[in-house]
Amino acid sequence: MKVDLGPITRIEGHLNIHTSVDNGVITDAQCVGEMFRGFEVFLQGRDPLDAQQITQRICGVCPYAHAIASSYAQENAYQLEVPPNGRILHNLIQGANHLYDYLLQFYQLSALDFVDVTAILKYQGKDTDLLHLKGWVQAELASGKAYPAAPFLPRLSGNYISDTDLNIGALKHYLESMKIQQKANRASAIFGGKFPHSTAIFPGGATQTPSIDRITNYISLIKEVRDFIHNTYIPDIVAVAGGFPDYWNIGASTGGFLSYGLMPLSSDRNSERMLAPGVLLDGTVSPVDFEQITQDINHSKYSSPTGLKVRDSTLTPDPHKQDAYSWIKAPRYNGKMVEVGAAARIMVDYTQGHNQAVKKLVETFAGMANIQPSQLNSVLGRHLCRAICGAVIADFLLAEAERLDPQGPTMADITIPASAEGFGATEASRGGLLHYIQIENHKIQRYECVVPTTWNASPQDDQGNPGAMETALVGTKVQNPEEQIEALRIVHSFDPCIACAVH
Amino acid sequence: MIDRRQFLKMAATLSTVFGVTNLPASVQAALNKIDPAALPKLVYLQGLSCTGCSISLLQAESPSPATLITDYSQLAFHADLSAISGKKATEMIESFITGQAGPYFLAVEGAVPQQMPEACMIGEHPFAWYLDQAAKTMSGAVAVGTCASYGGIPAAEGNPTGAIGIREYYAQTGVSKPIISIPGCPPHPDWVWQTVVHLVKIGMPELTKDGCPKLFFNHKVHDACPRYHDFQQEIFATKLGEEGCLFKLGCLGPDTNADCPTRWWNGGQTWCIDSNAPCIGCASPIFARKKDFPFYRIHELQKASE
Repeated sequence: MKVDLGPITRIEGHLNIHTSVDNGVITDAQCVGEMFRGFEVFLQGRDPLDAQQITQRICGVCPYAHAIASSYAQENAYQLEVPPNGRILHNLIQGANHLYDYLLQFYQLSALDFVDVTAILKYQGKDTDLLHLKGWVQAELASGKAYPAAPFLPRLSGNYISDTDLNIGALKHYLESMKIQQKANRASAIFGGKFPHSTAIFPGGATQTPSIDRITNYISLIKEVRDFIHNTYIPDIVAVAGGFPDYWNIGASTGGFLSYGLMPLSSDRNSERMLAPGVLLDGTVSPVDFEQITQDINHSKYSSPTGLKVRDSTLTPDPHKQDAYSWIKAPRYNGKMVEVGAAARIMVDYTQGHNQAVKKLVETFAGMANIQPSQLNSVLGRHLCRAICGAVIADFLLAEAERLDPQGPTMADITIPASAEGFGATEASRGGLLHYIQIENHKIQRYECVVPTTWNASPQDDQGNPGAMETALVGTKVQNPEEQIEALRIVHSFDPCIACAVH
Repeated sequence: MIDRRQFLKMAATLSTVFGVTNLPASVQAALNKIDPAALPKLVYLQGLSCTGCSISLLQAESPSPATLITDYSQLAFHADLSAISGKKATEMIESFITGQAGPYFLAVEGAVPQQMPEACMIGEHPFAWYLDQAAKTMSGAVAVGTCASYGGIPAAEGNPTGAIGIREYYAQTGVSKPIISIPGCPPHPDWVWQTVVHLVKIGMPELTKDGCPKLFFNHKVHDACPRYHDFQQEIFATKLGEEGCLFKLGCLGPDTNADCPTRWWNGGQTWCIDSNAPCIGCASPIFARKKDFPFYRIHELQKASE
């Protein structure tokens, strides 16, 4: 039978998935990006310095990653010498944004796939937040209204966690995480100006002064977030893994992994990064080469040429194109499908034995869960890798903030050349993010973004090979083919963002 | 005999006519203790959006987002928070917009791709279809953010989808339901939530000519800017990262209505101009609209100094 899973909720944006289910197993899946705005079109002809502002509006969930990728691309195009403070401020702003995003992704977007909200009715303790929630749910259920306790009910049918204490603990953390994510964003905004959509990030640094009060405030907030990651977020993932161990073996994608690496360790343009870049194919990591990236569009709703390299890309929307099923393009690395995201970040770094904190955490958790590192390519693996990223990033930010020089410059002097080009690559929370800018006559001639979910929710390429999420879904057993909570768990583990993917 | 709900509705209408301070104490008390069952239901839909408005709404601190969706409103549907997904989610949305699930307000984040309906689909229908259905049944609409208010970034010059805001869309389709616009890219969470609280406790807020609550959008950023003194003294930043009035770098505070200079952002510790970043006019009807009207005037300054 054919079942459409859209509109898929608890993700960013407009995603549908066409599935075929035979004998309780998904036999085919097509990821359908359902929204198109055309950033490439309205960036053309603009002042290049508009780009780090406009591209943030690609995604309000991870805007800072776009500002950073755009800033890197422009720094390369303008050949800027970035002062140490400038690079540190970029890292501090972007890193705190990662921390909030991981918490949001696990608690608000994913937890309701596993946690039984109705367990709150059995709560007997004295916590005021939980008692308030219990009273509210009781009153809602008694109200006789059409949809009581929305947006938490109704929900999909499925097996949820049965342990009452575990459920209630997770609900408490759902509420607490809402406050903690704000602290991460407050930290980001101290130097970013505001969140979402920072105004203080520029190519060459940031405009805010790193005064000692701001540094202290930043560190204090990140410490609170770090404590929550260690004491609450990681234990909750371990608890979910304990309740759903099958998900170490469910939702694996079948291609390679790509990471651009995260957070340069110095202001040098080719600096080593805290998490190392690389392409992991067949167990071997190679350096990333942007020239190997092409984007197929035979199944995407564009009439522009297919298979173009990033610096040649063009875009002509064609909403009624035959055989096209998505607004998302199909990027491939040297013709191969790859997954991006936290799992790719961790596996690419771990395989190279690069970051020792990553190595230790991967091996500790793999030992605890009795899994192989290759099983990080799974629903639970993606969640665990986000938590590992969170732990490593938080520690890095605390040290990085101490490296700010309150007296030093925070910005490079910007002179925009008449013609230039530049690539800028970083890791958004959802995965590898590449921006490309081409400048002619001091204006943007071409701007192209290859975004995390463009890879992960990609449709089939011109050879008919499916995208990462499509391969992760095929073969999954589903109890209720009409609803497929199992498929939703897989989709959520990728943390898709469709506004990013299509833009 | 008038029932409690009718009474409150009437009181709310009267309150907007006469101003809240003129209400008898007993009426004001009744308004403040509004019946939970009468809380407005919000059906929150996303068009051409980036979800930044929703993420901003999660940054509300006092009250918290959780309190706001339990004690001050009822968030019947929101794509980022709703547990339900797929066909059951669209059934739920449709039961509201066809009038079967009781009164509700429509909250919209994102623009409408008026000339390319396929550029935004929710389940089997274009986003615009939901707007058309809701027009017949909703109590009113709240445009959350600059895209829903005026078209915003998707409507920037080049605009391949023909993106427009919902006020313009409803005006073109002959709908005359009340619409409140809360611009900002993103809007400050207080602007949105306190408008909802205003609807609950008092009624329709007083609006500017652009349809925005006067409570937040009655003054230019420039007029209340802490750096207004620098402007008067002609202490101007001439390079990014410098302090002083940011006017010469392109600051759009003089053209933008919003209370950022007094409200501040993210825990009240920061806002754009305090971080030496020029206001880019994100709450303005013409935000990012023209290619030849850049956010920054670095070029002009560089040419002037050559």
